[in-house]
Amino acid sequence: MKGEALKGHLDLLLLAVIETKPAHGYVIIELLRERSGGTFDLPEGTVYPALHRLQDEGFLSSHWSESGGRRKRIYELTPRGKLALAKHQEEWNRFAQAVNSTVGI
Amino acid sequence: MEWELRLRGVFDPEILIEMESHLLDAFDDGIHHGMDQQEAQQQALVRFGSAHSVARQFFLERQTMKQKLLMIAAVMFGLLVAYVDTRPTWDDTGITVFSLLLGGGIIGLLAQKRPWFFALAVGLWLPLWTILKSHDLAMIILLVIPFFGVYAGWVLNLGIHKLRQTG
Repeated sequence: MKGEALKGHLDLLLLAVIETKPAHGYVIIELLRERSGGTFDLPEGTVYPALHRLQDEGFLSSHWSESGGRRKRIYELTPRGKLALAKHQEEWNRFAQAVNSTVGI
Repeated sequence: MEWELRLRGVFDPEILIEMESHLLDAFDDGIHHGMDQQEAQQQALVRFGSAHSVARQFFLERQTMKQKLLMIAAVMFGLLVAYVDTRPTWDDTGITVFSLLLGGGIIGLLAQKRPWFFALAVGLWLPLWTILKSHDLAMIILLVIPFFGVYAGWVLNLGIHKLRQTG
């Protein structure tokens, strides 16, 4: 799926992935791809600006860790991020239900 | 990448460390999946996207954040001016007008789009208070001052932007 189609939903997807476990960017993108069965295959570099914004907004926190001689920034959900995720999920459910009812699924 | 980021006013060495680590992980992954070094490197770079598009995305995300903060600042500034102006001891209308023009101008200079929204954020509070107090709807005319200030700043911003593009 192209980035354009994901616009507006990327925050929900990232928060949902990070909720399962704190992770660094590469793992987050891999999880996003895996959990969507390969559907959400974004240009990987464009996920980082969204992660940084979510952190600036207080939905994520991060710390640096070192593994295999590489420094990695690990992102995790903040209490505010959990609330935002719940809100996004609720909005998505409403939206999905409305679309399903309209198209008759 | 560093140059592309700097070009857009993003100075954060930690971003580069993060990107480098990502690309090395992607490279290792490629090798793990049986690719040769050149192929793994190529795939890591293709999957990552161009430096231009990543830097542009950083710029756009930061702009969105800055605009939100600017909106909060505009509302707070507008409320402050309205508060000071409605004090019984305050009778210097000139300073109020000048503050709205100058503050609106600075906000307009920093606003990227929807200057009318920023003008309302700065200027709505004083006429609103006056209308609620005196029931005189004509006081809505006070909005002209912040609108003038914000649009003046915004036009100046557009001019500077065009000059940069042509220069």
